[in-house]
Amino acid sequence: MQLVVNILVLASIYALIACGYVLIYRVSRVLNLAHGELMMLGAYLVLATASLFDQHPALALAAAVFLSLVSGGLVYVFLMRKMTGEMVLAAILTTVALGIFIKGMVVLIWSAQQQYPAQALGVSNPSLSIGVASISLWSAALVGVTASTYASLFVFLRFGRWGMRMRAAGQNPLLAAQRGINLHGIYALAWCLSTLTGACAGILMALDSGFTVNMPVIGLKAFPAALVGGLDSLGGALLGALIVASAEVLLIYYVDPLLSDVVPFLVLIAMLIVRPWGLFGTREELDRV
Amino acid sequence: MFKKTLLGTILASALGLPAVAQDAYVIGLTGALTGPPSSTYAPAVEGLRIYIDRVNASGGVNGKPIKLILEDDGAQPSKAAANTKKLITQDKAVLLVNASLSSTYAPMVAESKNAQVPLLFASGVCPQSVYPPADPLQFCTTGYAANYDSQAALDFVKANAKGAVKIGFAAMAIPLSRGEIDHAESLSKTMGMTPVDKEVIPPPTADYTPFATKLKDAGPNWVYSWAPWVTQVRTFEALRKLGWKDAMIAWAHLESETELPRLKDDRFYVIGANALFQDDLPVHKEIIEAAKKADSKYPPTMMTEGWIGGMAIEAALKAAGWPADAARIRNAMETMKLDTKGLRGSVIEWTKDNHFRTRLDYRVYRWDSAKSSIVRVQDWKSYAVK
Repeated sequence: MQLVVNILVLASIYALIACGYVLIYRVSRVLNLAHGELMMLGAYLVLATASLFDQHPALALAAAVFLSLVSGGLVYVFLMRKMTGEMVLAAILTTVALGIFIKGMVVLIWSAQQQYPAQALGVSNPSLSIGVASISLWSAALVGVTASTYASLFVFLRFGRWGMRMRAAGQNPLLAAQRGINLHGIYALAWCLSTLTGACAGILMALDSGFTVNMPVIGLKAFPAALVGGLDSLGGALLGALIVASAEVLLIYYVDPLLSDVVPFLVLIAMLIVRPWGLFGTREELDRV
Repeated sequence: MFKKTLLGTILASALGLPAVAQDAYVIGLTGALTGPPSSTYAPAVEGLRIYIDRVNASGGVNGKPIKLILEDDGAQPSKAAANTKKLITQDKAVLLVNASLSSTYAPMVAESKNAQVPLLFASGVCPQSVYPPADPLQFCTTGYAANYDSQAALDFVKANAKGAVKIGFAAMAIPLSRGEIDHAESLSKTMGMTPVDKEVIPPPTADYTPFATKLKDAGPNWVYSWAPWVTQVRTFEALRKLGWKDAMIAWAHLESETELPRLKDDRFYVIGANALFQDDLPVHKEIIEAAKKADSKYPPTMMTEGWIGGMAIEAALKAAGWPADAARIRNAMETMKLDTKGLRGSVIEWTKDNHFRTRLDYRVYRWDSAKSSIVRVQDWKSYAVK
């Protein structure tokens, strides 16, 4: 039972991070390699808002989430917008540079010390019992947030006006633009949502057990989950996260804990050999890449 | 004439040539001031810098100031090598200090040997080359020591366990930590303990619970970890979340004094070679006051290693006299006895063959909920270094 809970928690972490990769790729065909750093930035923003809204943890968390959303928009407006029409590789390299910049900036502002936003907010992290298994409060919250994020995104993309526009822009940007869809608005929205989901993952992980400037590496470990599922499929990201997390948790328990570091990439290699476009990815899209 | 002088000055500056003869002891430090591991090294460097500033403010050593040049290597070997070259050739450092990851040691040692400038390790783990028989140029003041730390920790476990010890181990997947935990596992068998599980955890880990689940299911009544603080503490917290109620002992890194009050767990022990600030020694007050005066962004409790490094530099320079070159400083260090004013359990004594120390002492601390403070549960226990 505990293994099931462990898989669920790890899969939720990977799924929440992976959906950020998918959102941007699906709309603009850009791989955001700064996603891990933007996720970490969300956790640092909690530290900032915790000192601003002392004794008001809910307000501080809401402010950090909002600022994350805004920072995603700012990244698009001041950086990625300039990449429109350029080679995709240039846009990807820009995200690499952005990641380096964010990492350097947070060390300068907050130092590289281990940080505990839960302590800064004055909130605890009790252990909850589910039958014979245990889960911490913030891990349970992470599972809940992941489920509700995917449900909301499904409804938004399927039925929402802007969601439909996002899908249209992803499928055929030229036609979408000719139909009067504001492509820059759509791309900015994708960056906002992507940064928001990544930041939520970063914040909840940090609330559970603290974090350091090494957090972006976890973002990279979630990348195979997105690729396994298919880089342009949210449902695929969810399933990919579940596959990668299951393999990781079971190999830690039954084989060797050291395998946890390579498992996501082993699963990815296996998938690339068998089905390079992922479980639910679109073959044509990947051929183009 | 003026133009020629100006040109000469500019050229000398550009080439990095000293304009005038050194009128200060030049000490060159390369350390991980930025980058992921800087949380361990930057506070120690800050402590060392503050100590040297304090020495300079009170007249320097032998009437001469100490010029401490800090270079950031970001824990990268190539940068450490470039820094060392610059410190030796351009700054004419007579003593080098390393405060960085062990991966920076090899290039720095190579440069130090080429130039025959002594090298002090002042916050990274002491390399084997300072143990007897020591390399003539390398010295170390850092508190933690491979093999001895595990011996001391397991001795504490054995002395405090009620009944048979089933022990679990947690290491980070880096050579140093793995090697020490492998050693501890072997040692535990010779001490009559039963090792039940060993988790080697990769550094970028999203969730420690899967590792802790395996560890807990092995049924240990003690867990020992000798790893960077993040691995130690997150493994412990994951065990507690799973409902494990037994005791854990871990290395007392710089962070431990700020972390024990956060964890508030009476059965989480930390063992270390430095006296924690809860001991309230006069030297602790000195560090607190100096850190406050320097308006440091790091807590004084994280500066002990650097402070001891500063003490060692001052003592070495004092013994070397003035003017001092690298050879004289090395000779002075070979016979140095450093009184750390209680920060360590005994004097740091270097000999011709031993540039580590002749004795190692350990104290053990934990959080006490009844007193709502950190308490000492074992006073200095001494081990001879062979």
